[in-house]
Parts: sequence; structure tokens; C-alpha cells
Amino acid sequence: MTELTRIAAALQRKSEAQPSLAMQVELAARIVAPLWPLESAIAVNPLSGLEHMPFEEAVRAGSELFGASSGLDLDLWRRLSAAGKPSKNAVRSAAIMELGGLNDAFVMVGPDISLLDCLIARLFDLPAEPKPERAADPAGREVADYCAAYFANDVAALAIGRGDSGLYMASLPLMRTTHRKTDWAGVPETPMAAIGWALDRLGVVSEDRPLHLTKTVARLPGWAGHIRWRDEHADEDRRQERPAHMADLIALILLADLAHGRGKTLSRSVAQPELRQRLAAQFGIGADDFAPEVRRVLKLDEADLALIFQRAAETEYAFQLGRAVERNSRTAITHSAKADAQLMFCIDVRSEPMRRAIEKEGRYETIGYAGFFGLPVAMREPGRARTRRLPVLIGPQHELLLRPSPGAEAEAKSFLLKRRRGESLQGVFAHLKSGTATSFATAEAVGPLAAAMMVLQTFAPRAAAALKARCTGDRHALAPSIDSHDRHDGLSGAERLAYARSLFALTGMKIRSRLVVLLGHCGQATNNPYASALDCGACAGHGGGANARAMAAVLNDQAVRSALGIEPDVFFLAGEHNTTNDEVRLFDLQSAPDTHRADIDQLQSSLTAAGRMVRRERAAKLRRSENDLVTGALHWGEVRPEWGLTGNAAFIIGGRELTGSLDLEGRAFLHDYDWRSDPNGDALATILTAPMVVAQWINSQYLFSTIDNERYGAGDKTVHNPVAGIGVVRGNGGDLAVGLPRQSLFHDDGSPAHVPQRLCTIVHAPMARVRTLIEQHNVLRQLFGNGWVRLIVVDPDRGRALRWADDREMAIEEAANGCA
Amino acid sequence: MTDRQLPNVHPMKKIEVVVHAGDIKLIEAALRDAGVAGWTIIRDVAGMGHHGFHQARTIFSDETGLVMFVGVAPAQRIRQAALEIETLFRTRAGVLFLSDVEVIRSDYFTGA
Repeated sequence: MTELTRIAAALQRKSEAQPSLAMQVELAARIVAPLWPLESAIAVNPLSGLEHMPFEEAVRAGSELFGASSGLDLDLWRRLSAAGKPSKNAVRSAAIMELGGLNDAFVMVGPDISLLDCLIARLFDLPAEPKPERAADPAGREVADYCAAYFANDVAALAIGRGDSGLYMASLPLMRTTHRKTDWAGVPETPMAAIGWALDRLGVVSEDRPLHLTKTVARLPGWAGHIRWRDEHADEDRRQERPAHMADLIALILLADLAHGRGKTLSRSVAQPELRQRLAAQFGIGADDFAPEVRRVLKLDEADLALIFQRAAETEYAFQLGRAVERNSRTAITHSAKADAQLMFCIDVRSEPMRRAIEKEGRYETIGYAGFFGLPVAMREPGRARTRRLPVLIGPQHELLLRPSPGAEAEAKSFLLKRRRGESLQGVFAHLKSGTATSFATAEAVGPLAAAMMVLQTFAPRAAAALKARCTGDRHALAPSIDSHDRHDGLSGAERLAYARSLFALTGMKIRSRLVVLLGHCGQATNNPYASALDCGACAGHGGGANARAMAAVLNDQAVRSALGIEPDVFFLAGEHNTTNDEVRLFDLQSAPDTHRADIDQLQSSLTAAGRMVRRERAAKLRRSENDLVTGALHWGEVRPEWGLTGNAAFIIGGRELTGSLDLEGRAFLHDYDWRSDPNGDALATILTAPMVVAQWINSQYLFSTIDNERYGAGDKTVHNPVAGIGVVRGNGGDLAVGLPRQSLFHDDGSPAHVPQRLCTIVHAPMARVRTLIEQHNVLRQLFGNGWVRLIVVDPDRGRALRWADDREMAIEEAANGCA
Repeated sequence: MTDRQLPNVHPMKKIEVVVHAGDIKLIEAALRDAGVAGWTIIRDVAGMGHHGFHQARTIFSDETGLVMFVGVAPAQRIRQAALEIETLFRTRAGVLFLSDVEVIRSDYFTGA
């Protein structure tokens, strides 16, 4: 018998063997999504570990694992529906679908009462069931505190453990001290051995272990997510700084369970009068007067009812949008006239109102492209750690150095000097503040100054911001350099050309103006741990201006221009759209050629006018005045500087002529694409597998954060406490918050500003090409096949919108049938 | 080769695994835990499978497409890695090949 045969035989014999404990831990870790630190708060789907399941099943499984709701509260759906999102008619259609069609829906189950009437009564009239109480998890809470003490080493006065000891070994002495009565004899010193040891004592048998470990990780999705981020996405120095693996976390939770003498208990439900009686009372009949078929409505739980509302919202939105895009695809004419300027925006939903507004201001053409402009780069400010400026789906391939922008050397020097001074002052202050001998004297010495600043920040935030700006200088005087400096290679000629080619290939953009502006975007907020969530997601939670400047430099490169045949009079300019106050800053104007001054001046005044228009539109949505928005961006007590990506619902891949005439209400990601210049489908494959996947993460984060803001979101902002830049905890401890704060999703009166609905992707391309791409890419099969994203293809050959059926058969239905 | 002596060779086993790029960490863990000292990862693998043609990665995502692991180690370690990966294949897509190979520097493959 050869060795290979022996291996094959062993595989055969052990085909039912469990994975090793180490592998079980690896698999359990995947139930939570990585959680990026606050400096680059990236949106992720909290149920990404369940994306291999159909959406409805995943939501239920997630609810069980994370102790979260499966759907938005019925009361909230009713409020949304009263505002027409979705309309009552759409809910009625979704209810009919739920019951299996018209024939079944109109089965009579009582005197003049159809099955549909019963379902509608449950959807709109019957009081919602009270939520079960969530059980406390003291063991989880205790371990969360160890995590905070271990990872927050740079701010904690007394961080636990040595830097290289690992989370488990650092926390174990504390746990022993906390639970003196527990018998700790024989507790292993390595986390993996400790897991086995604790599982034995907890009585978890071999076949139950994988699920038990998964449930254990799901008890602290915040800290577990942070560990996943460290393990898989952090730079090496950060990873080494305070090493931790999922095994450390699991071992600690299991040991804490032993110490607390219990596993996590399930939540308790509150006893309710029988549903059948309540439904009968609604119709004024006796509970026994219902025909047996009524069971079909009685067996639906709150999650089923919420899903009916959700499907109604999704279907109504997709149908209306799909038809509008379909109509435009037949009638719109592709522009070929010269434009005053072409502006390339990020695909972010907040670009859409700005694009709509600037297009009204003159002969401006706008294009949508991922906001990192296709540059897989990290950037390094002198003397600082590098920051990644690219989507998290890819690793940085280049590191660009930020250097004084030509013509702004004096400003750059002043900025760096002020920054150094500020850092030294901060260092001295931190030292004095934490010193035992100096803490009181420091408080007395700087107290009056701090009090004055507090008064200024509270009552005159604009003056406070101006003062701060004077003290810090202009950081934009530093610009990314694509040339080589010191140990930084910059971008080679071939790389520049490749990135420039990608920009044109992916968007199908044709140059039709002598002025082309690349616009990144950023948010602006003061005293907001989630400030980076308002920045550009494609730039890993940073403002996109730096990427825009680097890409403009690439496109102004002579060799690139000659290779691409760009006319000599075309100038590429970079800028940044501030989505909180809708001002646009154009960069490096001192380097712009004199021949373009007039064009740039004209553009600047158009951008100012467009910004005003967008601000008015957004102010209405925020239920505030325009002036208040500008103040809010600077006020340290502001909890909602802008709505961010709230409302996001669609991802449209196609030319602007498909959407230019529509008011998409800032709800759509818009990626330009020309199917005619992409015969192999390579560009479309890239758009679908990268920007669309990121958009789906964002959409899922908003969806789940709205459905259950406590568990999938970050809860109320007013009780947030940041932990060393890693994340926030609520109150004085507990798990790190995942997802978005309540104020980012709900109005002050408690009604949702975000409609929790899945992403609807619309692609303008031949159906055959889209079908091939889905078959070739697992990620697309999963997202479309499992119903995480709804896909509508506007087929230019047939002039029709076609819906990709989510029944895994990949059959195609007419949009009207699928959406009705 | 007639005037030169053949090099000393040592029998080893080779494991080749093709999985979705998203599962890289899992395969690495299986190889590491089995004591396989090192491996090669070939990214951007494309090919025909049960679900039709699998396309290679796209330019803006490292997590699409397939990757191929190639590892060489003593038979016992490869056996353990294969068993571990086999448990993964119950829920995840992928293929695994085992073969006999000969290497000239056995110390390269017996470390770890």
C-alpha cells in the first residue's frame, strides 16, 4: 500500500471526523465581521459570516446567534409606511405574495373576512408583540473589560500584561484574582489548551463544540471583530504591538463562564394573550369562528411580518427605479458635445445630489468612479504611521509620501512646524496630567484656558474652529507625490499608465472638456468618534482629496498623456467635496496653467451655487436650517452633522444618461460604465466584484443597524466612550459597539430616517454578458443567488429591464412581473 | 548528466489545494497546524469546475477568484493537513491533490 493510498484510506475512515480544535476556532471566528478602528471606520455586513445562506435564513440564524431582532419593529414599519415607504398598496401586494397569490389570499376564513384581511390586520392594526428581555451576560462583560485594558495600552495608566504576552496570558492573573473561590488548579497556560480544558468542564461534547465556539464568539462581536481586524487587516507593526487571536478571546469567555457558574442564558419571552383571540377581537368575532386556514396567518411571527414590509419597500423601489432607467435607456441620447468641465465624483450616494446640482449650473458633465480613483496606495505624512487609502478588499501596493505641494512650500513648512509644536505640547500636557505630583497643579494651571475654550466651542463654534485652524495650519499644503523620494518609490511610468487606463476603461469616460476635475469627498465633524464613517469608504475611511490629487498628477504626466492621446490643452485638477457643508475645495490651484484660470473661476462659482442648492435639499431632510448645518459641522455637541449614507438603496452601473433626468434623492451609488467599450466584460466584472461588494457591505450595515440598533448598531451616541481609538463602548464598559449609532439612522422623534431594504443593483449591459460574469464569480452567485442583492439588468439589445430571479435557478423574468 | 553524479534525493509528499481566495486563512491554519514548514500560494487561479468556469481575481478585489496552495513535507504532516482540509470541504468548495515528490534539500521541508 503506497503512502498516498494510506492517506486516501485515512480520509475515507475519518470522513466524519471533526475539524481540529484550532480549525474549529478559525471557523468560529468567521461568524463576526472584522471591525476597523475608529480612524478608518469601514462599513461591513454584521452577518457577513452567514452570506453563504439565503438572506431570510441568515437573518434568523443571526438573530439567534447574536440575540438580535430579525426585523425592524412593526411599529416603526407602520410609521414608515404611513410616510409611503413602502406604500400601503405595496405592502398589500407583498402580503398577497406571502400568502401564495390572489387565490389563496382571498380564501374566506370568517364572515366577510379573507385571509388577506387577517394578514393586513396583523401588519397594520394589531398591537406589536413586546420584545423579549435580553439576558445579561456578566461573563462576556468581564472579558470585554479585560480586552479594553489590554488593547488600550497607550492610554490606560496601568495597561495589563506585557506587550508580547498575548490577551489570554495577560488577563488570566486578573481573572484568577477576581474569582478567588473558583478552582483554577490545572488551568492551561496556552489559550488553545484552555479552550479544551474549559469545554470539558462545561460538559460540551465533541459534536456540539463547533456550534458552541461560534456562539461564544458571537457574544462579543465587537472585540471579536477587533481581533479579526488585527489578525487579517492590520499592518504588521500594529499586529505585533499587542498580539491577540480568537483563541485568546474564546478561552477567556469559557473560563469566565466556569467562574460565573453558568453559560449564557437565553432571553425570556413575556406571556401574551393568545393571538387568535386578539385577531378575532379585531374583527368583532369569536375566536372559534375562524376557519382552520387562518392558521396560515397565525403562524407568522413578527420577523415574518417585518420581512413582508421590507420586501414591499424593496419591490416598490426597484420597480419604480428599474422602469425609469429602462425608459431612459430607450430615449436618452449619449452626449457628445463639448463640456465646460467634466467632474469625476466618487460613487458614494452623497455625490448624486451634487452631480444633479452642478449639471444644472452649466454645461457640466459628471462621471462616477470609485473614490480612491483606482490607486491601490497607502500614504505617509512625514513622521507619521502610514494610512491606507484604498478599499479594504485590496492591499496597498504603493506607499506615497505626502510632500509640500509645489508653490505652497511655505504653508507646508508652517503646517509641519505647528504640528510638531502641538504634539510636543500635547505630550507635555499628557505627562503632567497623569503624573501623581503634577495632576492637580496642571488642572489649576490650564483650567481657565480650557474653560474659555469650552465656552467658545459651545457658544461660538465658528470662532473656535477658526482659532483652531490658525493654530494647526493647512494640512492640504502637503500633497501626495507620485515621484520617488527617499525610500518611497512613487509610481513608475508603467504603473501610472495602467491606473490611468483603468479609469477610462472602467467608466467608459471620453474626454470632452479642457478641464477635468477629480473630486474626492470628506465629512466634517467635531468631537465625533464616528467622523471617519462620514469620509470616503473607498479610501478606507479617509477624505478622498489625497487620492484625487495623486490621480490628477498621474493624468497630468506627459508620458501618460501621450500614451493615451490626451490633447495638450486638457488639464486635470483635483478637489474635495465636503459632504457636511457641501463646499468644494479645489487643490493646487497655484499650479494650474494660466490658460485655464477663467474656466476654473467659472467652475468655482458654479460649485458654490450647486453647494447651496444641495445644502438646502439636505437641510430639509435633516429638519434644520442651512446655516445650522454649517455650524453643526464645527460644533462639539453635534450628534448628527449629516445623514451620511442613510437611505442608500441602489447601485446603478451605466452611463449618466440613464439617470441624469432623475432625482435619486441621494439614495443611489452611481458608477459610470459603457458596455460598448467593454466587450470582454472585464470592466463590469471589476465593478460588480469590488465597488458593488463594498456598496453591499454599506447597505447591509445600514440595514442591520436600523433593524436592531442595540445589537447590530452602536446604540445611542450620547453614552459613547471611545476606547483608545479602537472603538466605542456604551457607558463605562462592555463590548465594543459595531455598526452605526442611533443618531445616524433615526430622527429625534424615533422614526427611522433609513428604510431598511436590500441593495438593488441595476446594470446597463447585455444580459448574456452579465449571466456569464455571475457564473464565473462565486461572490456574485452568492450575493444575487442568496438574495442579498437584487439585480436588474437593463439589456440594451432588448431595450428592456430584466430581473434576475432570486430562486437560484437564475431564470429571467420581466421586471414588471418580478416587481409587481 | 552522464559525467555528473545524480543528486541525493529524499522522498516527500506534495499537497496542492485550490480554494476560493476568501478561504486562504483557513488553509494556512490547516497547513501550519499540521507542521507543514512552508508553502507557495499561487493567486489569480482560474479554471473549470463543478460550477462552470471560475474567473481569476478582478483588479480591485483580492478576495475574488481562486488560489492554489502548493506544500511539500514529510508524509505524516501532509496526511494530517489533508485530513483537516477534508473536514473543511464538507462546507466549502475546493479540490485537493496529493502526490509523491522527491526533493534535494530535505531540511527545507522538515522545519517548523
